[in-house]
Amino acid sequence: MSVNGNTAELKIISPDGIFFEGRMKAVIVPGLDGQIEFLPHHEEIIIKIRIGELKYQTPDEVWHLVAIGSGAVQFANNRCTILADTAERPEDIDRKRAQEALERAKERLQQKKSFEEYRLSQMALARALNRLKITDQD
Amino acid sequence: MAHTQEIKERINSIESTQKITSAMFMISSTKLARAKRDLEAARPYIYGIQNLIERMLRHIPDIEHPFLRDDPKPEEKRVYGYFVITSDRGLAGAYNYNVLMETERLMEGKPNVKLFVMGEVGRHHFTKRGYEIEKYFHEEAVSPTRDMARHIAFWILELYRNDEIDEMYVVYNAMKNPIQDEVRTQQVLPLQATLPNVDMSAVLDVQQEEFILQPTPKDVIDTVVPSYIRGFIFSTLIESFCAEQNSRMLAMQVANDSANEMLHDLKIEYNRERQATITQEITEISAGARARKKSKKQKPE
Repeated sequence: MSVNGNTAELKIISPDGIFFEGRMKAVIVPGLDGQIEFLPHHEEIIIKIRIGELKYQTPDEVWHLVAIGSGAVQFANNRCTILADTAERPEDIDRKRAQEALERAKERLQQKKSFEEYRLSQMALARALNRLKITDQD
Repeated sequence: MAHTQEIKERINSIESTQKITSAMFMISSTKLARAKRDLEAARPYIYGIQNLIERMLRHIPDIEHPFLRDDPKPEEKRVYGYFVITSDRGLAGAYNYNVLMETERLMEGKPNVKLFVMGEVGRHHFTKRGYEIEKYFHEEAVSPTRDMARHIAFWILELYRNDEIDEMYVVYNAMKNPIQDEVRTQQVLPLQATLPNVDMSAVLDVQQEEFILQPTPKDVIDTVVPSYIRGFIFSTLIESFCAEQNSRMLAMQVANDSANEMLHDLKIEYNRERQATITQEITEISAGARARKKSKKQKPE
């Protein structure tokens, strides 16, 4: 039972700029323990999100897919603000580059490096995998 | 004649130097334009995260987290971390000098200091003076990348988490206006000191919205603060980059101007010299001719 006009303000911001700004009917974010959906007039909340896929539905009923980096979602006064390290549309992702990054990260993980470098490579691996996964879907 | 030749050579050499300086001017101005765009794009994110952190602190004033609160430690045990942003190349006026001097001033009298240095010039400066550099970062790309910022933030956070640093500062150049740069020092960690708007006494007056922080407030801060620092480091890198290009543009502009001035002076000197040579020759010829005339006149008699 879709209520016409029941929307919330959505803003997705990454260091590259404002990725999306507009009305939305629903948004699904990758929470720490699974996907979380926000509908308009959600209660006030701040949650942490991890690298993964984010989906939002604009008032024209279209779902949009975004590859999102880790960050936080803030919902207050019917405004949803998503701040993430990265935000990319599937069509903007360079699969070849992601594949290369994946290989690089795997290689680095195998070399016995310091713990810090291990964690850096792990993060790079997660980003590359997410990019590949999201572009796989369409 | 030899002298005019020398002047000519100098003019040629100045002209070729001027070609280089004006090319560098052009390159810097395009780089500056691009970096300014990046900086504008990154701003909403920084403000957004800053707001989020402020909001969290406002609503949960009794939140305890090492990222936020200062760990009371006696001065002799405190470790101060400085991240200094310099350039890889010189020829940028006082750009590097200012930031290095400011860092040295800050380090004075501090018993424990850890230096994080960005750029070849800074590394050279501190090793020459016998300071130990904790971590040196080198920018391979033409302009700052988010990867670089991620890398730097990661190291800073890692050392802070392991209690190897108690206070972290970034020292960098920023463009104050198109003709002037200024050195800025900004504290990054602990965060409490860096957010001017968080005034705990104001909490009582604000209408309290109940915020849920999921999974736990600590988890949220664990993610948000590193993101903020990454974003902040990225913005300082770009801001420094802008300032560097700006300084270089100014330095090259000045070099161009003085080249023009020198060329002007040299050309006058050259012309004067040439004229003097011609005059000299004419004088010699006419003197010679007159001498012959005289002797011809004298002969028949």
